[in-house]
Amino acid sequence: MSRLVIRNAHLLDGAGDHGTGGVRLEDGRIAAVGTGADQGAEAETTIDAGGALLTPAFLDLHAHLREPGQEVKEDLASGLAAAAAGGFGTVVSMANTTPTVDEPGLVAELVQKAGQLGQARLRPAAALSHGLRGETLTDFAALQQAGAVMITDDGIPVANGRLMRSACEYAAELGLVIQTHSEDPTLRGDGVMNEGEVSQELGLPGNPDAAEAAMVFRDCEIARLTGARVHIAHVTSKRALQVVEHFKALGAPVTCEVTPHHLTLTDAALRSFDPVFKVAPPLRTEVDVAYLRDALRRGVVDSIGTDHAPHTRAEKERDLMSAPFGLPNIEVAFPLLYTRLVETGELELPALLALLQDGPARVMGWSSPRLEVGAPADLVLLDLETERAVDPRRFRSKARFSPWAGERLRGWPTLTVVGGNVAYRLEAEAAA
Amino acid sequence: MQADLYVVRHPAAGVPHQLARWTDASIVNAGDGRRAHPTQALLDAYTFRNRFLGFDGFAGKRLVIVGDVVHSRVARSNVELWRKLGGEVVLCGPPPLLPPEVAPGVRHTHRLAGAVEGAHVVMALRLQRERMTSGLLPSIAEYVARYQITEEVLRMAHDDALVMHPGPINRDVEIASDVADGPRSVIEAQVASGVPIRMAVLYTLLVGKR
Repeated sequence: MSRLVIRNAHLLDGAGDHGTGGVRLEDGRIAAVGTGADQGAEAETTIDAGGALLTPAFLDLHAHLREPGQEVKEDLASGLAAAAAGGFGTVVSMANTTPTVDEPGLVAELVQKAGQLGQARLRPAAALSHGLRGETLTDFAALQQAGAVMITDDGIPVANGRLMRSACEYAAELGLVIQTHSEDPTLRGDGVMNEGEVSQELGLPGNPDAAEAAMVFRDCEIARLTGARVHIAHVTSKRALQVVEHFKALGAPVTCEVTPHHLTLTDAALRSFDPVFKVAPPLRTEVDVAYLRDALRRGVVDSIGTDHAPHTRAEKERDLMSAPFGLPNIEVAFPLLYTRLVETGELELPALLALLQDGPARVMGWSSPRLEVGAPADLVLLDLETERAVDPRRFRSKARFSPWAGERLRGWPTLTVVGGNVAYRLEAEAAA
Repeated sequence: MQADLYVVRHPAAGVPHQLARWTDASIVNAGDGRRAHPTQALLDAYTFRNRFLGFDGFAGKRLVIVGDVVHSRVARSNVELWRKLGGEVVLCGPPPLLPPEVAPGVRHTHRLAGAVEGAHVVMALRLQRERMTSGLLPSIAEYVARYQITEEVLRMAHDDALVMHPGPINRDVEIASDVADGPRSVIEAQVASGVPIRMAVLYTLLVGKR
């Protein structure tokens, strides 16, 4: 098996700062760590980290990889390569594909296919209802057996409360996490952006924060009622997050996620009339962004999930009413948040890392990713010094556009290792 | 295509702005979704200037827009232009059709009587029947009783007040027939004003700027 040594790195994980040292990776696991890790049996490859930060690869519990059926937007190869380029070693893919991932055979096929790519690991989510129609439950046990780690109709809120309750009852028994896209579909209506002064100024149909908060409340109540682990995806508004906090205080088995875009953009961006800013739930106001950021500091948020949602450029150049929801971000998520939140002093680096490592692991009931002997060799090397502009033309994702195109950021991943193999390495010319 | 100018009407707000990114040709917004209908606002102001008795400027003149404001690009453009010209705007309609976030800084009211008091222009907006089927309003009858522009309502306005409507009108829904056809109505003059205003817009963009 391959042997890889990374030396002269700053070692940091959820257990603490381990100073300067190296790691020796063998057979997909960490074989040695710390000073002197580069000694011993001959390595096939030795990488000098030049003092850069070495930390466990990130976990993304929320990405749309579009395969099967929507390969024009993204596929497993491009999506998982994009994830690796963003420093992610594990990705939970959403089930809103064509056909929907609602059958065990499909789950097994995705797992099998992704395993041969040598990119980020795939841990698929499966649909909660057949065809995401919100009518009949999928076979959770068989889906889990096939490799599904999460059950969700993400993309489409589960309107039927009884169905959500049954789903939670089954999931609780099987130990599966239910992830919810919590928006009341009737209150949301035909809204294409946050409802407020900006939507009224622009004459675009609004989607009020009440649509989110009301459904988050229902889903938290169902978690409390059933004991199921419910992970509220992409919380975007102050009101919705306050609801989650309320239920956490009661001890309900609820966790929540925020996305990079909801932490960095507001509905004012829609004044450009650029549909790249059309996402679901919508970009909110400065008050909401400030509240979400404060919640990160207070430890209320469990994970940052990208909700990477690639589309073709043509689809995102349609008008704002008909363009699809979602934006690609998995390759810029960490540099964006590092530059905007950590460099500005709003958030400590370990807190940001926790939201991408220990936090999502805890949500899923997985062991915390660590730089320790025997742990999976899923690592990322982060260059916190060099400033580089976001260049969508270099994206591994098929969606080569970005709300942050041209923005100069720091914190770029320069090397991502998955299972001991190099899944991503920043090319020299790009680094220059 | 080598066009010098595009006239764009589109059901989605912002499309003229999106198009402007991809062409150097002039773009005239002929109505984008609920957002804007600039030439309608221009022709309304032009009609007021021509037809209001003893017109001496827009300062201090009050435009009252009544009805389905939230879905109206005519209302949004008129608010913008009328205020730019120095006039005052009052918006009036039932709460679901006049949310507080519309046109910040403009007076909102849900009571027609107070709104129309002293108005120089009373503008009724078309009420789409789908507002009832989509649950925004209880019934036509309820709307008529509270928001229809009638002779009686008009008596509260300025003595020389003009009545406008961007058309097409629903007779005896948002406006009583005798008001629409009455002496204060300049609805037909609005339509006629559309010709010189749009000629002026085309001239300015195609010829005047050279």
